[in-house]
This record gives sequence, C-alpha cells and structure tokens, in this order.
Amino acid sequence: MHIADGVLPTKVALACYALSAGCLSLSLRKTRAQDLPKVAVMTSAFFVASLVHVPLGPTSVHLLLPGLVGILLGWSAFLAVFLGLLLQCLLFQFGGLTALGANALMMGLPAWLSGAFFTRFRNSPDRVRILAGAMASGTAVAVAACGLAMLLALGGEDFFGVAKIALAAHVPVVVVEALVTASVLAFVGRVKPELITQGAWKAEWR
Amino acid sequence: MHLQAIPIHRPQQSASCVYRLEGVDYTYPNGNRALRGINLCIHEGDRIALLGHNGSGKTTLARVLSGLARPARGRVLFEEAPLEPHRLGHLRKKVGFLFQDPDDQLFCTSVLDDVLFGLINFQTPPEGAAQRALGALAQLGLEDTAHKAPHHLSYGQRKRAALAAVLALYPSVLILDEPTANLDPASEDLLAQVLKGYAGTLICISHDLLFLYGLCTRAVVLQDGCLHHDTSFEALISHRRSLQEHGLDFTFRFRCCDSPGRHVGAGRSPVRSTANDPSSSLPPARSAHVCRVSAGEAGSDACQRPEQPPILELHQYTYRYKDGAVALRDVSLQVRRGERVALVGPNGAGKSTLAACLAGIRSGSGRYRFDGKIVDNRRRRELWRHVGLLFQDSADQTVCSRCYDEVAFGLRNLGWPESKVHQKVRAMLRWAGLGDLENRVPQHLSGGERKRLALASVLAMEPDVLILDEPTAGLDPQAEENLLKLLDEVEATILLISHDICFVSMLTDRTILLHRGKIVRDVPTWRFLKDENLHSLYGLDFTYYNRCCREIQHLQETASETADGKGAPFNGL
Amino acid sequence: MKLGKTSETSRSRSRGEQELWAVPELPGVEEGRRQTLFHRWDPRIKIASLLLFSFCAASVGTVGTALLCCAVSASALMVAGTPWRLAARRIAAMAAFLAMFFVVLPLTVPVLPGDQVATLGHGTWIQINFRGFSVAALVAAKAMSVALLMEPLLRTSPFPRTVNALARLGVPDPLCQMLLIMYRYVFVFRHEMSRLWVGMNVRGFRPGTNRRTIHILGNFLGMLFVRSLERTERVHEAMLCRGFTGRFPTRESFRSTPLDWALGAGWVLGGVAVLLLDRYETLPFSGVFR
Repeated sequence: MHIADGVLPTKVALACYALSAGCLSLSLRKTRAQDLPKVAVMTSAFFVASLVHVPLGPTSVHLLLPGLVGILLGWSAFLAVFLGLLLQCLLFQFGGLTALGANALMMGLPAWLSGAFFTRFRNSPDRVRILAGAMASGTAVAVAACGLAMLLALGGEDFFGVAKIALAAHVPVVVVEALVTASVLAFVGRVKPELITQGAWKAEWR
Repeated sequence: MHLQAIPIHRPQQSASCVYRLEGVDYTYPNGNRALRGINLCIHEGDRIALLGHNGSGKTTLARVLSGLARPARGRVLFEEAPLEPHRLGHLRKKVGFLFQDPDDQLFCTSVLDDVLFGLINFQTPPEGAAQRALGALAQLGLEDTAHKAPHHLSYGQRKRAALAAVLALYPSVLILDEPTANLDPASEDLLAQVLKGYAGTLICISHDLLFLYGLCTRAVVLQDGCLHHDTSFEALISHRRSLQEHGLDFTFRFRCCDSPGRHVGAGRSPVRSTANDPSSSLPPARSAHVCRVSAGEAGSDACQRPEQPPILELHQYTYRYKDGAVALRDVSLQVRRGERVALVGPNGAGKSTLAACLAGIRSGSGRYRFDGKIVDNRRRRELWRHVGLLFQDSADQTVCSRCYDEVAFGLRNLGWPESKVHQKVRAMLRWAGLGDLENRVPQHLSGGERKRLALASVLAMEPDVLILDEPTAGLDPQAEENLLKLLDEVEATILLISHDICFVSMLTDRTILLHRGKIVRDVPTWRFLKDENLHSLYGLDFTYYNRCCREIQHLQETASETADGKGAPFNGL
Repeated sequence: MKLGKTSETSRSRSRGEQELWAVPELPGVEEGRRQTLFHRWDPRIKIASLLLFSFCAASVGTVGTALLCCAVSASALMVAGTPWRLAARRIAAMAAFLAMFFVVLPLTVPVLPGDQVATLGHGTWIQINFRGFSVAALVAAKAMSVALLMEPLLRTSPFPRTVNALARLGVPDPLCQMLLIMYRYVFVFRHEMSRLWVGMNVRGFRPGTNRRTIHILGNFLGMLFVRSLERTERVHEAMLCRGFTGRFPTRESFRSTPLDWALGAGWVLGGVAVLLLDRYETLPFSGVFR
C-alpha cells in the first residue's frame, strides 16, 4: 500500500525525501554507470509485475515485490524501487508525489535488507535457497508494513488506529509474497540459474 | 572429410579486406563454446548470407564482428588492424547491426529520437543529423511516424524504424540478424528493396533462402561453431544435400510453387489418419471426409458439404475496438467440422481479431454459434475446452520449467486425474518427437522444438478446433517441414492464419480472404492460388517468390545433372 | 490482443489487447491543437512552482483550506483542458486507501473533549467519533488537491520534455534517463505479459486462492524476469552499437519568458497564501469543520 498525499505531516514528508535522496545517491554510486540502462529495463519489468493481482478469497492483493527486487538487483534495488514508485505516481497516482520520499524509504530499505540477507544463500542448494528467498521476501514485506505503520503513526495519535489496521492488513500479503517469491525462485533457478547465483548482471554486494 | 568438399571462395583480388578473422574462439560465461577456430576474410562489398542451424553460432559471430563479444582466442582484424578496445569507437561508427527484436533497438520515447541517438553520439552536427534521420525514415516509409512512440507502431514498422536508425549512420558494413523473422510481406518487400540498394558490405543472418536469393552472393555456413562452408550463394542453394545437412532444405516448398493447377493435393498426404500408435490419445478422429475439391467443381465458391453441421458459425459478426474503430464488419462464416481453412489478408485486415473472437478471447456483436449452440458469455469462458490456439511466438505459450509440465498444464486445468495426464503427456511428447526431452527446460529448446512443444501442449487438450497464428514465423526450413508433417496429421478443424502462401496451399482446402474487416473472398484454396489478380490487389503478391523458387529448383536440377546423380560429393561450381 | 507476436497495426494492439494491466500513457509529442496557458508554460517553472504549491496544499490543517486547494486544482485542470476522465482515474486509484481512513478513523480516533460521539448497540465497544470523519475528510481533500494538479502538470507537455526539465532542475541525469527508458519498456513488457497471460488463459488457467495459482503465477513472473533480463543485455548492446558512452544525448532547449516567471510566482504566492489562511483561520467556514 502506498501513502497518498496529505497523510504525512509535511516535516516528515520532507525528512523522508532527504533520507531517500541519501539512499538514492548511495544506490547510484554502487551501480556501475554502464549498468544503469539495464537497471531501468529491469525496473520496468518489476513495475509491470507489481500490477499483477493475486486472488485471495473474495478480494485480491497486488504484489509489492520489495524482496525480489532486492534479491535480483542488490545495491541497485533502492534505485529501482524509487524509480518504480515515481513512475507509479506519475502514471497511476499510486502514492502521492509529496509522499514519494516516504514511500521509497518504506519499500527501498526492506529491499536492501532482503538482498543483503539473501546474498549469503546465492550458491546454497536449491531448497535452502528457495526457503531463504521466501523468508527474505516475507520479511521485507513485513518490514515495509511496519514502516508504513510507523509513518502513519507519525501523523499523531489520531492515526494510531489506522496504523494498526494497515499493519494487520499486510499479514496475508506477507504470506502471498513469500510463497510467490519461492515459486519465482524455483522457476528462475531452473530456467536461468545465473540470475540468482550472480544476481542480474553480477549486482553483487561490492 | 567435409573440408574437401568446401570450394574455396576466391573473390576478386582487388577488393580489400574489411574483416579478417584468424582462429577465433568464443566461449560463453556458462562454458558454452559458441565459436571454434573461425578463419574468415570478408571483403569490401561482399554480400554474405550467414547460415546454419539454430545455435550454430551465427549470432555470436555477428556479435564478434560488431565488437560486442571479445573472442577468447584468435584475432579479429578490422580494416587490417587488430580490433582493440580503443578502436571499438571507430568500428561502431562504420558497422551497423540490426537486432532480431526491434524493441531492443528502439529504447527512446519517439522513433525520431531513436534514429537521432546514434547520430548525436557520433557528433553529427544537429541540422545535418535531423536531415539524415528524416531521410532514413523516409527511405523506409516512416515519415509519418517519426514523432510516434515505438509502442504505437506495428511490428513491421518497428523493424523498419530500427533499420532506419542503423542506416542513418551511413554504415559501411551492415549486419542483419534475422531481418525477416515475423515480418509482414509488405515490410519485407520494402526491406528487400532498401537492402538491394545498399552499397556497402552486407552480412545477413537468415533462414529465409528465398529472401537471401538475389540479395547475397556469398554463403557462409556455420555448424556447431565451426565454419562449414564458405562458397558462392548459388553453389550452396543448388546443392540440396548441403542444404539438408544444415536444416536449410526448403525444397518441400517447390511443391506449392509449381505450375498452376498442381496445387491441390500436390503437397497433401492423401491419407490423414496416419499410423500413430497412441491414436486413442490423439484428438477425436474426423468423421467427415476431407473436403476435396477437384478442378471440375470450380463453379462452387465454397466447399459444400451439407451433411456436416458447421462447428463454427458466425452471422453478421462485428467487432469494434474501444474507440469505435471497426475490426470486423458483418462477418458471416461457416466452418464445418474437419475443414481446414486459411485466413489470409494484408496486415490489419482483422485476421487475428477474428481468430480471437472465435477462441473466445474477445467478443463482438452478432451471432456466434459453436457446435450449434449460441456462444453467450458463460459459454465463451468455456470455449478454451474446445478451441486450441497456437501462438505466433511460442515463447508466449511456454510458462513452465519442464516440457512435461508444459504439456500437462492444460490437462490439469481440465481437471484430468494425474495418471491420465501422465499417459497423455507421454504420448503427445512422443508424437511431437520430443519423447526424451520431458525434463528439459522449454526455454532452452530450439525454435522448432519449442513450436512442436507448444503444438503438443495445445493438442493434448483434444480441441475440436485448432487455430494457428503464423506457425512458420521464425522457423528454419527443416523445422517448418517437421511442423508441416505434424500438422497434416491433426484431425481437428484447422484455421490457419498465415502470410506464407506455400503453407496455406499445403495445409488447407479453403481460403478466406479478409480485407479491412470484411470477407472479400471465400474460395477453395486452389482457386485462390490461381487468381493472381487477387493477390496483387490485396498486397499478397507472391509471384516473385514463385519465380525465385523455380529458379532455385532449376539450379538444383542442373547441378545434380552435372554431378551425375544424387550421391555425388559437393563440388560447388 | 493479438495472438502471439504482434505484427498488425498499433491500433489493434493497444486497444484490442485485454484491459489487463492497462497502463495510462502520458503525451509523447507536442500537441498542436490545444495551447492553453499550461501548455505554453516553461516546464521547468511549471514543475517547480506546482510542486511547491503541492507541498503547501499537503500541509494545510483545516478542511476549509484543503477544499479551497481542491478548488484551485480543479480550476487549473479546467484551464489546462485535460480530460476529466483521466483525473477521475487518478482519484479512483487512491479511493481504496482513502476509504480506509473514512472507515477506520471514526472508530479509532481518541475522544477529545468536545467531540461528538455516537455509541452503537448496547455495549460501549463500538463508538463512532464524528471528529474522525473530519480528519478523514481533511486527508482526502488534501490528497485530491494534489492529485488533481497532476494532470495539468504532466499532460500539458510531452513526457520526455517534462523529464528533461526535471534534469534541468537538478535531478541527476542518470535518473532522468532511466525514467525515460522505463517509460518505454513498461509498454513492451505489458504487451509481453498480456500475451503470456492470454496464452495461459486459453489453456484454461483461472486464478484462484490455491497452491496451483501461486505456482503458476511464480512461473509467470519468473518468465517475465528471465525475458526482461535477457532483454536488458540486448538493449545495452544495441546502445553500444550506436555509440552509447554512458550519456544520453539531449537536444531539448528551454526558454522562459517573464510571463512564465509571473505564473510561477503566482502559484507560489497562492501556496503561501493558503498556508497563511490556514494558520489564521480567516476563512468564514473553517470553524465549522474544525
């Protein structure tokens, strides 16, 4: 879920912009200049993938994919997340322009986290790797949900209830996300293992 | 043994060498050796057809020549000087490379920006650059689309735009990777024209010998990364055995390009139900007779077989896009069980829309009966059980990581018990000649194998109707022939969408010509083939291809006469 | 949709394709026919001033001022002459998120002295605090005011020009180039994906809440990633072939007139005025909503 305009206090929104600008420049510096177009192409794939809805009982959830972005893109993940959210905001209004910094932090940091966690398991046996990926991805969504709740709660005592509800609403997403990630990793592991073992174009943690 | 058979290609001594390859090896990071000890000299003004099976290293060689892949061993000399990293900029100014997929080459937000991309990178002054860009676009008939976003262009237009982006740089060497794959005939014609007018060195990778004929003068054939033949193009195509060896034998096509009148039945096996042992697992046997139209029946326009109820029946069917543009206009059509119908027509005629409507992917207004029952929304969602679709690009149809699962995919959706699925999958894989590839990854198969896999996975579901969308696109002749054999065994009603007149003539009995969303002709295929006015009228001219075909056939016949029989070794000219 | 790889006119592809994952487009080229104030405005100043106004609008604290901002944005939308339908789609995209506030806030907002509270049923466990509605309304109004401004901001100049203007405003060049590449390939991948999806659909795949759906969706996404990774390599090579050295060429030039600056100043002043109004509660009806 993305935060819309006007939910966050302006101070918080600006602070998040500043923080994510820092992360962004770090992510940019860690990505080789010649890989930037590749990150862009890959990000559009993630962008399209995040439009997929997974049916869940009477409703459906759309995938957030911070875990997978981190697993496949390593350091470039924050860059990808930021650009993906920016484009979502420009095209769809998913998440407001003024809240972009907050949304990017909320998704980008968990993406980094899951990438850093998964990188130890890149060359593990298939089952372990899939399990690690599922855990990384589920955790990433959980962390993102906590981030969302925290940001909402920063709006004052009035928003505590909304924060709790938002957190609870992400529980099924965590499960779906973990399962889908496991299944994606199983598929990619068979079809193009080098994408997992080295990350996209060797986006290892340098 | 084979080496003796290679006639050394001796071009005129005066021409200077653009490229000289000395013992070039290339190995992919995953250990796959793509090129082995290639020695090759490419002269200025050479027009080379680069041929070989899928995976024989053609594209890798093209990447080496364009400086994208650095050989692991051996030397590449460009303009008589070794190709070092600091000379890459110079090489790239002079060498243009047209990729197979135009979407890879059009990465800007407008076509003009894409054409300008290279020009500006190579520091062409702005006014000159714009002029050159527009000139290149005009040459390929794209003046009006210069400011459009690439995703608003058709595939053919995008391909031409990509070529324009390369040609605007005035390259002295032009490398083309499968320029005609999936291309519509009109774009192909334009492409051929432009390439014939191109004066520099031309290196063209293609399976389409008919396209290469008249364009190339020299043939370089690769096999398993080794140079197998380097000869004149004519010598190669007149030698059927070498063609066969490299999957390039397209002589099965001669059957349809013969003199008019021999079309019908010439390429068709008289008995459809062939000796397939798991015949029980194949689609239900056709109870109907094959609709055979003899020359005497020329009076009747459609194939009349009143005893069979129609399986597909459209009555005044209209399909409109969301913005009101009409894709199909009052289409009325009946297809009987067991018929084999071709849908032909120029681009944008509505062939694919019609197929999508019949398959239940789209729905328009008008009456559609399937097997006598009106197709309402509920029944439309269940049409997949009866109508099978074979996509143009089999990559769009493979979603599983094992061939076995791929074929089982539809069966599991049908809710078959696993034991029955198992039997059926085995039988279908065997039928498609993929029996021992059960555990392979579909994405790693060759184009032809993948196509057959897609066909097997569609036919496993035992559809009543099989719709084929450009089944031959991007296949090498060998794979085409294999596919044709398989398709000829299919007992379901077939609807074939194709630009490939040869395939149409060999597979179908009846041809429906669509033009701007309307059916303008519905005739037996043999009559359609005879009517040459019709073809030129609707941009389906294939007389040129027929002529090429006949010329090549003639070449082969004379070659085999001089060589005294079939078994003679290949001595070239 | 087209069966398999498309080779027909763009019309049949973009419109006929299943409406799955429809991605709205931003203008690609200068529109000749409509030339409003917003179209003529220098994009650099337009972006900067509208963004500043957005921040001001997002930080107001009363429903009255937020509604005033909405009105300003709506009139901007009218002046720019961009279709209402598209603006409505943006609002619909936020609807679920904002609806949550309307449902949850009245139930969870802590009761302050002076709040109107209604109790449902016998127990006291469901309490509706009407202040919650006004807080939710404030959030919704602020979100709307910014969302409505997006159309005049983005649809009045070609997207590449907007991005180039961003670069001139100090956004790092690589980011801007990447944004343009993304914008291009989103459409390529969307087509690729809907072809794949249709391919699965015609073989009877219907998503549901079960293990098989997760498995197939994983394959589906995996396929998308594998194909896009392969494409990244080829795109990169295609760029190299045409002399790419790490910088995208730009040929955009911007010129600003005093009118552009005046317009920009007007919006910024408007934003400041809104904040002042908000602070000093001088609007006649602000107290009502408070």
